[in-house]
Amino acid sequence: MTVGTPPLLVIDDVVTEYRTATRVVRALDGASLTAGRGETVGIVGESGSGKSTLGLLTGRLLPSGTRCPRGRVLVDGESVLDLPPDRLARLRRERLAFVPQDPIGALDPTLRIGRQLRLALRDTPADLAALLEQVRIRDPEHVLRLYPHQISGGMAQRVAVAMAMARKPALLIADEPTAALDSQVREEVLRLLFTLAAENGTTVLWLSHDLGGVARWCARIAVMYGGRVVEDGTTAEVLSAPQHPYTGALLAADPARAKGGTRLLTIGGTPPVLSDDPQGCVFAPRCDSAGEDCPAVRPAPRTVAGRTVLCHHPGGTPETVPARKESAR
Amino acid sequence: MDHIRWLLGRVATAALTMFGVSVLIFAAVRAMPGSYTELVLGPLATQAEKASAAARFGLDRPVVEQYWHWLSNAATGDFGTSLVTRAPVAAEFGDRLPVTVTLTALALALTVLIGIPLGVYTGTRDSGGRGGVLGRLVSAFGMSLPEFALGSLVVFLFTRYRLGLTVGNYVPWSQDPLGSIGSLFLPACVLAVFCVAATARTTRDAVLGVLVEPHIAAAVARGEPKGFIVRHHVLRNASVPVLTLVATLSAYLLGGAVIVERLFNVPGLGSYVVDGLDRRDYAVIQAGVLLAAVVFIAANLLVDLVSGLIDPRISVLAKGAGS
Amino acid sequence: MKATAVRVRRALAMRSGDGLLRGAVWVLLALVLATLVGQLTGAGGRPDAIVGPRLQPPGSGWLLGTDNLGRSLLPRLLQGIGTTLLLSTLAVACTAVISTALGVVAGYRGGRTAELILRIGDVLYSFPAIVLAVLVAAVLGPGRTTALAAIVLVTVPLMTRMVGVAARAVARREFVTAARISGVSAPTIMLRHILPNVAGTVAVQGTYALSVGILVEGGLSFLGYGVQLPDASLGLLIQEGGLYMVGAPWLIVAPGVVLVAAIMAINLVGDSLRDRFEPRETRSLV
Repeated sequence: MTVGTPPLLVIDDVVTEYRTATRVVRALDGASLTAGRGETVGIVGESGSGKSTLGLLTGRLLPSGTRCPRGRVLVDGESVLDLPPDRLARLRRERLAFVPQDPIGALDPTLRIGRQLRLALRDTPADLAALLEQVRIRDPEHVLRLYPHQISGGMAQRVAVAMAMARKPALLIADEPTAALDSQVREEVLRLLFTLAAENGTTVLWLSHDLGGVARWCARIAVMYGGRVVEDGTTAEVLSAPQHPYTGALLAADPARAKGGTRLLTIGGTPPVLSDDPQGCVFAPRCDSAGEDCPAVRPAPRTVAGRTVLCHHPGGTPETVPARKESAR
Repeated sequence: MDHIRWLLGRVATAALTMFGVSVLIFAAVRAMPGSYTELVLGPLATQAEKASAAARFGLDRPVVEQYWHWLSNAATGDFGTSLVTRAPVAAEFGDRLPVTVTLTALALALTVLIGIPLGVYTGTRDSGGRGGVLGRLVSAFGMSLPEFALGSLVVFLFTRYRLGLTVGNYVPWSQDPLGSIGSLFLPACVLAVFCVAATARTTRDAVLGVLVEPHIAAAVARGEPKGFIVRHHVLRNASVPVLTLVATLSAYLLGGAVIVERLFNVPGLGSYVVDGLDRRDYAVIQAGVLLAAVVFIAANLLVDLVSGLIDPRISVLAKGAGS
Repeated sequence: MKATAVRVRRALAMRSGDGLLRGAVWVLLALVLATLVGQLTGAGGRPDAIVGPRLQPPGSGWLLGTDNLGRSLLPRLLQGIGTTLLLSTLAVACTAVISTALGVVAGYRGGRTAELILRIGDVLYSFPAIVLAVLVAAVLGPGRTTALAAIVLVTVPLMTRMVGVAARAVARREFVTAARISGVSAPTIMLRHILPNVAGTVAVQGTYALSVGILVEGGLSFLGYGVQLPDASLGLLIQEGGLYMVGAPWLIVAPGVVLVAAIMAINLVGDSLRDRFEPRETRSLV
């Protein structure tokens, strides 16, 4: 973020609630995040932490019945939550791109790949075969004639990346784009995605479970818990010296980072399901460094060691976590 | 390759079903009370007369042979002779077919032109609000109007109050093409009410089912306008169940529009068959019921083939799901 | 305070769909009740008693008018509703038993058994409903038995297929595999594990079958192959009313309205059951 140019994406204190006939679930509880042009941000957190909702929110792609009673979302200065439908569609078309979790499901099953690409890129003149070559698809002419169910998940995800990047979006949101792929293909798709984004100056929000991958590809990392971004800073700093106890616990629970011979820690308890304004810090029941103020006072953002942290007692490191939080299993 | 194997499988199944249908019809007709010869000759015929008649009609031969004789003749378009009119059944069918086809085409046109757009509209607008409830009420109402009740009402209103179209005067196509369509318009409307409601409902369900698929969410995320998504991604995906229903409806209209044909004095196929039943005209019953079933099977086979072209996954899925 | 507000909001959200269901259930209850009261207490008079002049419009001695013989329509209508509902319910109960048994076996066994059951269903399904019903009438002769058999034959194929599909989905779930591996016998699995899980489908399809049953009975009686005079059914009353409708429209209006209301109420109940037992993702972006 250079001083002077406004950030590309501003998510400011957003509350998002899913409403059904019988209950209200609060998926985002005052989430804030800012991303500059060309930045690569990894968003990590357990399932249910609000990652996916945050990703969808950027394009106002939340299902009907979802309410955002508080907060604002700005993309390139435009307030996403207030745009009329046609302007919103144009914003999605011109600035945003999404790479889906299930690449095959995201393609129309009844249309050949080539036809879908032509439909999607109808006002972007493009050589489809060249487009597919760009994402390392061999024999693109053949692939263009296939139906989605005839190609592999990795191939489909490359097609999705090609479709997303063909319009040179300002912001790319990838919601666990590699969850359905096997590990070799995973690496390849990530490399393609981040290389193409870097070439086009595209900002990337990567919603991920893969801390190692985020460390490799993202300059920044935002940790989410209970519908809020609880720690946000440069990847290197956050991963080497986490300030929020939840970040520490998350790192300690990552099998890829476990040193040989040490015990893998799991985080006891379950993530919260909120329905309205919670009192205090929602991580407090699972937190080892919680003090008396934690269950009572809601933590406000503060700057600690060059990053934003939502915690009353930042700096607790996982190495000092007592063994009682180890999994019994 | 898979696709061709799947097609052959579907054709084989259809053939098997047709065989079952023919056996069932043959057996049902044999099981009907009153012997054939008695009907032809009357109750006063002597044993010798009966025996010679039985020989003449082939009734003294083994049942399997009789079945085969009937089926092979039917396959070449020879449905035997009507007991009542002594005319070939095939010729009578030929006279009545254009009437039934016109009636079916009119009703189907109404069904497709009204039912499908209505279903797409309610499917893409309604999100469970008051409009949704109204839509459900209207479609439930349309599907709850039996044609004998609705038809009686229409006949009553149009005869009592002279609303322009005359009822019960069928005008043959050869006399006056426009008048013929006019004379079939009311019965077609009565038939169409149920079909429109059923089609609108099926279309709506299919559209709602497609709208929650992830590829639609992906299209929305790409910023495609709603109309574009509906035209290019929803309609095609939602079309298979609608096509299946339209095929079922057309078969039902071609062979089963008995009640409306009777109410409006339309000389169609359905009423011919039911008249045949009243007169125990076995050749007519056999042929008519067989034809109705064959049309149904053929229409469904056709829809299967078309569905395979629309949604290429169908052949793969069917293979995966089979046994 | 807050809890109350939430409860009120929930109630409002549920209401629109539930109102339809409630209305439908009330209509059905009213019809059944009217029939029972009419049959048990003889309210409205005997159906075959001649109470006044012929083809009289509704009046004090004959609340819904009189027919061509001077009989009061009201008791005949009550009798007709009873016959139609009883006949259809009985037939659909048969259908439910047959279809559930066949569907569960087909879904659990799969393979040849399923193939055979489905093919036989296909054969029956290939006839237009009314044509099949008329064929049954031709073999068995007109009457109640014919109507009953016709409804069963018309409704069995579709219901068997739907139950079969549902049973197949259940048979593939882990708990069934687990039961099979641990040596539970096939009949026990079908009875204890599959059957309870397809009960929703049976309820939904059974409800729809009931409305089809009423339609088939009506159509058959209308054509003269179903319930015979002097008995009454809704289809028969409509057919009779049709003959005199120019001079005495009340004869067709009353049974017509009752018939449509009954079928519609049953269809709406079926829709509600379907929404409940076969819920689908209903949130879309478009």
